[in-house]
Amino acid sequence: MLNPLRSEQEAFRFLLYVAVVVGVLTAIVLLVRAIS
Amino acid sequence: MEAATAHAEHHHGPPAANVSSRVEAQFLGMLLFIISEVMLFGAFFTAYFFIRVVSGDEWFPIGQDELPKLIAGFNTAILISSSFTMHWALEGARNENRNALRVGLLTTFLLGLTFLTIQVNEYVHLGFAPHDHAQGTIFYGLTGLHGAHVFVGLTLLSFATIRAFRGHFTTKEHRGVEVPGIYWHFVDVMWIVVYSTVYLL
Repeated sequence: MLNPLRSEQEAFRFLLYVAVVVGVLTAIVLLVRAIS
Repeated sequence: MEAATAHAEHHHGPPAANVSSRVEAQFLGMLLFIISEVMLFGAFFTAYFFIRVVSGDEWFPIGQDELPKLIAGFNTAILISSSFTMHWALEGARNENRNALRVGLLTTFLLGLTFLTIQVNEYVHLGFAPHDHAQGTIFYGLTGLHGAHVFVGLTLLSFATIRAFRGHFTTKEHRGVEVPGIYWHFVDVMWIVVYSTVYLL
């Protein structure tokens, strides 16, 4: 299991996952707001 | 001291009662520190969500007061880039590539410094102050808290960079880069959340 506090490599991978997930969620919210 | 080190090297069996056998002290310290930091940011985000969700107050733009989304977005790209150079630096340390280690650390430091400079410049040119409205208080509180963390990260990075240029760190011993690296990625993760919630949503 990914533990971002165990090593720098895992922290870096966690950062990339967060960037993708937050980016997608933000895009969805902005899209829904624009449509409604 | 030498006797104690020699004893530790030849010691077999379980570690001393006050020492974890699974987590090194340096990592445990950073782990507890980052967990406490997550709680600290959580307190500030609680205020943010209270304003927006519980109170249902308006968020920026408020009258003439706007947030510079584009500049902050550019700043976000700078900070995320710095995580890539940090990772590159540590890969350099792991693969005995001293140039990658040095250039990576120095670039990370300069990118972090650029981020902080742009943020200070943003504060100077914003048309509102923390005491103007609750939204302003939360904006300066959250971004300022993060800025303070960038400053701490830069301090750690400066130590690691100086040590790298002095020839410290090897393929096996590079905790002095790894621990600031974990902290730096944490600071970047927090900024991604701060930027998306405060500026974009």
